[in-house]
Amino acid sequence: MSEQTSTVITVVAVDQGSATTGLLGAGQRLARDINGEHLVIACGGTDSPFVAMLSGSADRVIAVESAELANGHPEVWLNTICAISSENNLASIILGSDILSQEITPRLAQRLGGSSIGDAQELSANDGGLIITRSVYGGKAVADIQLTASPAVVWVRSQSMEPAETNATAGTIVAGKVDKTTAPRTQLVDTHEEEAEGERLEDAQIIVSGGRGLGGPEPFEDLVALANVLKAQNSASRAACDLGWVPHSWQVGQTGKKVAPQLYLAVAISGASQHMMGIADSKVIAAINTDSEAPIFKYCQFGLVEDHKQVVGPLIEKLAELLK
Amino acid sequence: MSSSEATREVLWNISHGWVMYVLLVPTVAIGAYGIWRRYKSWTQGLPTEGRLDRPKERLIHLWNHALLQRRNLRQRYAGIFHAMIFWGFVTLTIATTVVMIDHDFGIPIMRGAFYLYFQSLFVDALGLLALIGVGMAGYRRWKTRPAKLVYTDEASWILIIGVIILATGFLLEGWRIVATADPWGAWSPIGYATGAVFAKFASIETLTQLHLWCWWFHLALVFGFLAWAPYTKMLHPLTSALNIYAANLEPIGGSLKSIDFETAKNFGVNSLKQFSWKDLLDLDACTECGRCTDACPANTVGKQLSPRDIILDLRGWLHKGTNEEFSLIGSSDALQSDRLFECTSCAACVEACPVSIEQLPKIVDMRRHQVMEEAEFPDTMQKAVNSMEERQHPYTGTQFSRTDWMKELDIPHASETEDAEVLVWAGCGTSLVERNQKSIRSLAQLLQKAGVKFSVLGRDEKCTGDVARRIGNEFLFESLAQENIDTFKKHKVKKVVTACPHCFNTFRNEYPQLGGDFETIHHSEFLGGLLKSGRLKVTEASERKITFHDPCYLSRHNGVTEEPRELLETTTQKTMTELPRNRQNSFCCGGGGGMSFVDEPSDKRVNHERAKEILATDADTVAVGCPFCTTMMEDGINANKGDRKIEVKELAELLNEATTAPDQP
Amino acid sequence: MYLDPIGNQHPYKMNIIVCLKQILDPEVPVRDFSIDSSGLQADSACANQVTNIFCENALETALQLKDLHGGKVIILSLGPESVEDTLRKGLAMKADDAFIILNDTGQIPDSAATAKTLAAGIRKIEPFDLILVGRESGDWGAGQTGGLLAEELGLPFTAFVDEISPEGDDRLTLRQQTDSGWQKFSAPKPAVASITNSDHNLPRIPKTRDIIMANRKPVTRWTLEDLEITPEHLSSSQSKARVLTLSIPDSKSDCEFIEGDNIEEKIGKLAGKIAAITRSA
Repeated sequence: MSEQTSTVITVVAVDQGSATTGLLGAGQRLARDINGEHLVIACGGTDSPFVAMLSGSADRVIAVESAELANGHPEVWLNTICAISSENNLASIILGSDILSQEITPRLAQRLGGSSIGDAQELSANDGGLIITRSVYGGKAVADIQLTASPAVVWVRSQSMEPAETNATAGTIVAGKVDKTTAPRTQLVDTHEEEAEGERLEDAQIIVSGGRGLGGPEPFEDLVALANVLKAQNSASRAACDLGWVPHSWQVGQTGKKVAPQLYLAVAISGASQHMMGIADSKVIAAINTDSEAPIFKYCQFGLVEDHKQVVGPLIEKLAELLK
Repeated sequence: MSSSEATREVLWNISHGWVMYVLLVPTVAIGAYGIWRRYKSWTQGLPTEGRLDRPKERLIHLWNHALLQRRNLRQRYAGIFHAMIFWGFVTLTIATTVVMIDHDFGIPIMRGAFYLYFQSLFVDALGLLALIGVGMAGYRRWKTRPAKLVYTDEASWILIIGVIILATGFLLEGWRIVATADPWGAWSPIGYATGAVFAKFASIETLTQLHLWCWWFHLALVFGFLAWAPYTKMLHPLTSALNIYAANLEPIGGSLKSIDFETAKNFGVNSLKQFSWKDLLDLDACTECGRCTDACPANTVGKQLSPRDIILDLRGWLHKGTNEEFSLIGSSDALQSDRLFECTSCAACVEACPVSIEQLPKIVDMRRHQVMEEAEFPDTMQKAVNSMEERQHPYTGTQFSRTDWMKELDIPHASETEDAEVLVWAGCGTSLVERNQKSIRSLAQLLQKAGVKFSVLGRDEKCTGDVARRIGNEFLFESLAQENIDTFKKHKVKKVVTACPHCFNTFRNEYPQLGGDFETIHHSEFLGGLLKSGRLKVTEASERKITFHDPCYLSRHNGVTEEPRELLETTTQKTMTELPRNRQNSFCCGGGGGMSFVDEPSDKRVNHERAKEILATDADTVAVGCPFCTTMMEDGINANKGDRKIEVKELAELLNEATTAPDQP
Repeated sequence: MYLDPIGNQHPYKMNIIVCLKQILDPEVPVRDFSIDSSGLQADSACANQVTNIFCENALETALQLKDLHGGKVIILSLGPESVEDTLRKGLAMKADDAFIILNDTGQIPDSAATAKTLAAGIRKIEPFDLILVGRESGDWGAGQTGGLLAEELGLPFTAFVDEISPEGDDRLTLRQQTDSGWQKFSAPKPAVASITNSDHNLPRIPKTRDIIMANRKPVTRWTLEDLEITPEHLSSSQSKARVLTLSIPDSKSDCEFIEGDNIEEKIGKLAGKIAAITRSA
């Protein structure tokens, strides 16, 4: 008698752009490791290009076309995923690092009787179950955590994951439907998107970031000018966001976005480990800070110990020349 | 008439002289009422101890400061003209008393040599001195117009009335001398000369008539002034003297009061009744001289804090005498909360005041209200306070621990040794800021070289609470202090050496109030002792041209000025340079009072101001004796030095360099 | 209908339960941080215990709702004796009642065990309209407890909330911070939310008088037995998310500090390095 194949479900709740391929990759590799099936659940039409792309790295795709799912309605997603899960021999559910996925991860686990964890940076498995690796204690330590109950429901740091490979044959695409057996209690009533200035921080290649040391909102305007010259994005430390100097969407760190640019330029940021957790995947970190003992310099490839007020203006001019 | 009978006719030309006595009644009544009203307003304050004890010391203090007015003389011009006016009017008052004793009590003292030398010559001279003095004061008030003075009509009128009283005095004397052909007239040279001028163009009848009118005018003016004075700043001869008598005789560093949190009705001060009677007396002692604001480092760099205006605005409320409850903090520009939080607690204001007013404790009292009752105070100070609560030091985000500086020095913990001579206390600012770790390592190395057995507390050290106390969180201060006192008791600590003047001050002057029982020595004194006894020898004096930036908490708060200098002189072959503002007149680095933890606007930095003063000397090394001063001065010097080669070095570092060959660690 | 002391009507008063976690000080310097002998958790002696900042944000949110609408704020914490400090601080911020669920097993429960234990405690507390937790804790940062707690109690849940307001008598509007803005959800009461930091929920500084009063207030203590939870339940052998290993990563490489004779030269060098990376990015 053959064992029923286990399934790894990857839930693509939100299109995370280039990070989606990382999410897919995590699910794909895990499914291979356990010799199981890779099933992807996504919102979209069965003939949409997005779904077609997903099928390149999955054995099966269940595409659900629904306005509520498209709008990111958590309870509808929960109900739908649970219904699909009950039809499969589920080993694990992998989700991305978007807000929706983070919110439904524990709830899925509890409803399905499994274990949950978040911000996984590496996945592996042994007989005891799925093992994830993540940084803890504000970035001071690294832990391997085993999820002992099945299914293991995990949201991963999509942008840090290796991208998915394209399978030799594309997976099958089936239409799924939204589970309407239980009426959602919570309703989505309003949405507000800030004007997207350029690409998302998680995808940015160059980031200019500011911290508490800037002293107020005005110096951030100079950092915006600097970012413009570099065709870069801006971000900020939590302190600057909490003080209301810049929008919250700029926040990078343990709580905040996780970024992985080629260059992260930190201006007047001290470099507390919680901030470093958000930028640890940066290729090059550089800093401008008046304090030569600021912790950030321990993570930098290069840095300048000067007052940002003296540096940023002339730096913009110099860079404008060099990058003409 | 022989000179032994020399005298003059009292009340010459004045009939109905009895009217003078009658006029005395309303004068005294009005004046006394004015004084009584002021006294009454002080009594609404809380009781306080230690202000009327030790009468002998207090009388000496009174002699020095109320009579000799030594602090006044620190500013030459004003000190001198004030002395001239003061002694002039004192002399004139004595002269009038002599007249009264002779004329009203019938004791013939205003005769003979005494009449000639004192009553005539000396009194005339002092009267002239007073007149010149008032002229000098007027020149300053109306021509030079320095910013520190308070420009009121009242102050102008006081000077004008002074001039008129003195001038009419000489006129009356002169006219009498001429009209009575006084044989001793020349013994009153000013009066004599005045009379001589008038005699040229006025007849004796005219002069007699003038004398009559002027005499009553002069009387009215003087009596009017006496009645009016208690309602103006001219009450200060009385109130300033009282205030000087009740002055704080302890070091400035110990002048903050504890709070009994179990019983106190209010934590800090937000109404006049919550001040002590001495605080309220302070307000009435103020002469509006402005020296406190002039000396204030925050004010000097352009911030709004003004100790003078705080005192005067509080005085305004005191005089208003309203019964309704209102919040003192925020009740005027000078009493705005944000200004109170610009203070570095350097006490330059207290040191500058010629009449012993204590501005700093009032600022701290109001801060206490803001911090403990309202929980409203600057953001960055909140972070420092929060950090002291959570991890017992104010340095949020430091990557250092208290034991880092001790690496490889092999120093025993207090619990590991019984025969340590002293405990070395590092303190937060020294151990948790990398730049300052050099200083404490140097101290430890010096002690090891001298063969001194010492121990440390390492991670058992908690912030002494100085920063918490100065910010205004007395509750947190007392809890931290209690923990340290308990740690000291547990390890039977009897003698503590520290390199941080803030820790030194708190241990020496503030912990005893809370049960601390141990001796505290600043390292400059301890190292000085080692040098004197030969346990430490200087082997390599440098070629450095050193200037010493006196830490406020050492010089002003505790009177320790010479030990650091003696120590520094042994480390160098060159003579030291003094900064213009040195010793008790030192200019703050800007780091005290919680200000080390505040972001300052870049154009108003106290440390930059001091750095410029240092850079104006020929020194190549500025010696410091405090972890706040070290970081503040390094910042300030680096920002302003341009190409100049000048280093900031702590006392122990310099001595350490001088006691080993340069290439040894 | 709640009438405040000056007679204003507040129809929306709420009973809010806030769960607080006490953690190892996240500001502990990297070089002091160490792992204990079990190898599975930080050494609790290497730093002080403090209240998790997101829990304080949650408490602040609750207190602001109480300031506006009246009601009660109840704080609850699971942990060893030391968590009493966290509750005292919460009481000083003017929370009304405090409960400790004492965990003296020496083991750190995982999120699922924590949620189950907290739920058991919450069921013993009077009726409530809202439960708030921090979005994650500064130590393990799993971020699971809120969602698990909601499911355990069968209640609606919204994560990353930075603003809450009453919506009629029966519902709440919760604003969720998203990557690029916000979304608002309407949920029926009672609901659970995890709170994230924003510029309006910085925890208030308690007044000294309130700190002194708080030290005198009674705190209800429950043992695990009182809640019918066995100590094994909190142990790692029963964990659904079990720590296998915990290690401290090697510290990073050296930084090149840019030098120069003057600041213009240094800026020039910096610009050169940045431009080089930018061109190849």
